[in-house]
Amino acid sequence: MEILSLLSPMFFLLVMFGVLVGIIFGAIPGMTATMAVAVCLPMTYGLDLTNGLALLLGLYVGGISGGLVPAILLNIPGTPSSITTTFDGYPMTQKGLGEQALKTGITASLFGGLFSALVLFLFAPTLADFAIKFSYIEKFLIILFALTVIASLSKRLLVGLFSGALGIWFSLIGTYDISVGGNGEYRLMPEFLVDYLESGFSLLPVLIGMFGLGTILQEAEKGVREEAVDSVKFQKGAAFSFSVFKGQFVNLTRSGAIGTFVGMLPGVGGSAASVLSYTQQKNFSKEPEKLGKGAPEGVIASESANNGLTGGALIPLLSLGIPGDSTTAVLIGAFTLQGIQLGPLFIGENLDTWNVMMVAVIFANIVMFTIMFFAIRHIAKVVTVPKYLLYPGILMMCVVGAYAINYGVMFDVWTLLIFGVFAWLGQKVGLEVAPFIIGFILGGQAEVYFVKSLESFGTLTIFFTKSPIAIFLWGLIVISVAYSVHHTVRAMRRKNGGSGV
Amino acid sequence: MNQESDPFSIAIDFPQSHLFFPNIVHWVLLILALSIALVHGREIIHHVQGWAESYREHGLDYDRLRLFGTLGLVIAYFLLMNWVGQLFPNTGMGFLLVSMPFMALLSLLYVHDINRKKVLIILANAIIAPFMAWYVLAQLFFITLP
Amino acid sequence: MLNKLTKTLCVATACAVAAMPVLAADGPLRGNLRVVIGSKSTGGDTYQNSSIVAEALAENIGINVKVDAVGASEAFKVLSRVSNGSVVMIFHDQSYLGWLYGVKGYDNIFEEYTVGPTVAINPGNAYAVPKSSPYQNIEDIIQAAGKGEKIRVAIQPGGVSEIGFSALKNAVKLRFPGAEENIVAVNTGGQSDKNQLLFDGQADVINASVQANEQYTRLPEDDQKAMRFVWLTARKETIEQANPEGMGETSREDLLEFVTPNASVTQDGTKDFTFDKEFFFLYNKDMDPAIVEQIDASLKEIFDAGAIQETQKNSFFIPNFMPSAEAQSYLMDKRDQYEVIIESIR
Repeated sequence: MEILSLLSPMFFLLVMFGVLVGIIFGAIPGMTATMAVAVCLPMTYGLDLTNGLALLLGLYVGGISGGLVPAILLNIPGTPSSITTTFDGYPMTQKGLGEQALKTGITASLFGGLFSALVLFLFAPTLADFAIKFSYIEKFLIILFALTVIASLSKRLLVGLFSGALGIWFSLIGTYDISVGGNGEYRLMPEFLVDYLESGFSLLPVLIGMFGLGTILQEAEKGVREEAVDSVKFQKGAAFSFSVFKGQFVNLTRSGAIGTFVGMLPGVGGSAASVLSYTQQKNFSKEPEKLGKGAPEGVIASESANNGLTGGALIPLLSLGIPGDSTTAVLIGAFTLQGIQLGPLFIGENLDTWNVMMVAVIFANIVMFTIMFFAIRHIAKVVTVPKYLLYPGILMMCVVGAYAINYGVMFDVWTLLIFGVFAWLGQKVGLEVAPFIIGFILGGQAEVYFVKSLESFGTLTIFFTKSPIAIFLWGLIVISVAYSVHHTVRAMRRKNGGSGV
Repeated sequence: MNQESDPFSIAIDFPQSHLFFPNIVHWVLLILALSIALVHGREIIHHVQGWAESYREHGLDYDRLRLFGTLGLVIAYFLLMNWVGQLFPNTGMGFLLVSMPFMALLSLLYVHDINRKKVLIILANAIIAPFMAWYVLAQLFFITLP
Repeated sequence: MLNKLTKTLCVATACAVAAMPVLAADGPLRGNLRVVIGSKSTGGDTYQNSSIVAEALAENIGINVKVDAVGASEAFKVLSRVSNGSVVMIFHDQSYLGWLYGVKGYDNIFEEYTVGPTVAINPGNAYAVPKSSPYQNIEDIIQAAGKGEKIRVAIQPGGVSEIGFSALKNAVKLRFPGAEENIVAVNTGGQSDKNQLLFDGQADVINASVQANEQYTRLPEDDQKAMRFVWLTARKETIEQANPEGMGETSREDLLEFVTPNASVTQDGTKDFTFDKEFFFLYNKDMDPAIVEQIDASLKEIFDAGAIQETQKNSFFIPNFMPSAEAQSYLMDKRDQYEVIIESIR
């Protein structure tokens, strides 16, 4: 076994170090797995390929997983893909179940991570061939499918849809970027703002602005009364037990599979994965009305999917030479630096490297789980920190994250403020933040895939006739919409019946 | 593909393609806004009337000092950070030197029932937290800070 | 409590002082130098090449150099704002091609900035067809277009990826006037989008790169993903400098099959069009000329020492150092030639 000689104690130590640093990056609002990998890339120059990959894959897994901590405890998604974790994770914290939510989340993460690693190991080349069947048209339908979650997340259907469309509108501001095939023209902004808005608003500053600063402004308005989240309740919360996973096997597997699958499609990206699996859980749940109010199954769906992403995004990287998401795009740099060429022949030509990577991914997931499981008791106490200390700290870290996300752009820091104020004022007139954010995240992709499909084919009917996959996706979209309409109507009837009208 | 006979055919002019999707979104927004007015219109008017009434009777009930203090401090923080940062290019000093007073002031703004112990904790936090962030990120990981 | 706090602070301050850069440099550059690049990717060729150069510079001058992947529009903005020499930019031909193609956010770099030394070439800019394509080489494509066949070429509009396409169209125009309309651009995004269009049959030819697509050319013909190179835009002399192993299983000899004169795309009826993607420095217009000189001199030392060339070649870059003055006139001439091509097919 050649591979055994490659696995030194150093290898495992580097994975562990990577996971730890990754978790910290992921846990800081605005710092992402991509950034963790990017800043540590120079450290791998001095390492050989095996050890370099150990570190980077550890960072990747840790970074994706760490995002659930602020999402659950502070209602701020640490990374864009943990946005749906806030929907149920934070309500659980408010009920004093923060620790339970975190443990549920990391267990789901572990499952999703291992599931996707297994899929990666067994089916990578086959799945890569399947992934290239998804052209602009099928990708547009996937995004459309993910957008249907807006309907089921809306408190009031029309207002929610309006918020979602507004989110899409905001995501289009700036240049129609040539790097995605656009024509490089400006739109949706007045001439005098061109200097600032040329590249549009970046996702992360918008996200942490709305969730971080927006919340702080709301609290400031009310005078920052309570010193901390109800700490007494928190201590008394029921102990975590694995029994929350009873009956969740289908959810875990489906979410892991959705994460792996979406991760596999280049360009579609991480946030779509957790959004999609959350929608599906809501549609298939026995008690859909509980989702969004602190149901563990929501956390499970979201977290299993976003760790499923890790294995998924590695599939096109290792079997097509094409990164599945922004983090794996940085990994390409690590390979090229070591003189390893990626592409459809990579696995066959570098079997040892491939096996080593699998070991690293699996080990990283286990390390992630172990570190988090035992550290969580202490991490969860963050919510007992008095708000007058916590909020300035959160703001400072949000600033660091916003400034660093595009490697030092001051406008991204101002974006924080703009969207913080926007979220705070918007909610007063009924704006729904979750649909808005989902529209914002998916808007850009929806545009490119839609417009490019029409440019190639010149007819709307192509969305229905392109392939069996397209028809299948339409089926899913129709089912998803039908479900949310059904739930809305039922909820309305109940409400009307209750008030005696 | 004979485009003549296809009622769904759409030709997109590449030089104008940047406006195609935004236009669709504009229509969707307009239609949704009208539907909201139609469906929830009466409810909204009631709501606004109720709000106006309570405003006439009680005025606005909110913590003026903390709200505007927060906004003012945040704006000053962002402006100063950039300005100080340019005095010491590429060192992250703008972030470090401005974050400390900002955190201290914001904490002092938010704290209730102030006492000596709280002030000490606030000051310690305001010095240690930015320093740790700066040291780890700018010095160990070479992340560019203002 | 207070005592403990003071202690912590002292230790922390000591760490900070220790971490400060050594101010050993005798030139005008000191402290921390920030290199912004015109790409947002930390996995791409611009970042990789800039890191190699930045590391060498840091060592040679004795300062800290940090590469930030802020992207073209932000990089230009920072560069025009900061004139004290604490920020420089590294980018490639996109910087003036974007302007020639009229992309928003690009200025005339020769007027708005100071063009600095060139450091390397990425020789990998290529055009590929499906392995089963009827077109055996670039000449077949030109002939087919001349006969009225529509050829769809997938490119990313507005720069490095489009210039080869423009040259191809220009060559068809020169040889079969009027037939250039048959060369049609399919505007798309990065390499994966271009590949995807080829797999879908939505493009006949794609802009590709030796680095990213070489393995695809080794797949069996019945594989949907199999490709074949038909044209490398690099100069013959550029490819001749590559390591003899070339890239993957494609040796330098194999690569030479796809460059001029073996693959000929005429520029003006007499000589062949070539395009090398060259990386170079850009400075603020008002930056101290002493810094320009210092970087020139430092790079000269680095390239004379010879170690950087090995690093560059191992990453499939061709070393290409030209001091500022030489680089300026060279790049300006290059720009003028491409301007003629772009204008002629407009």
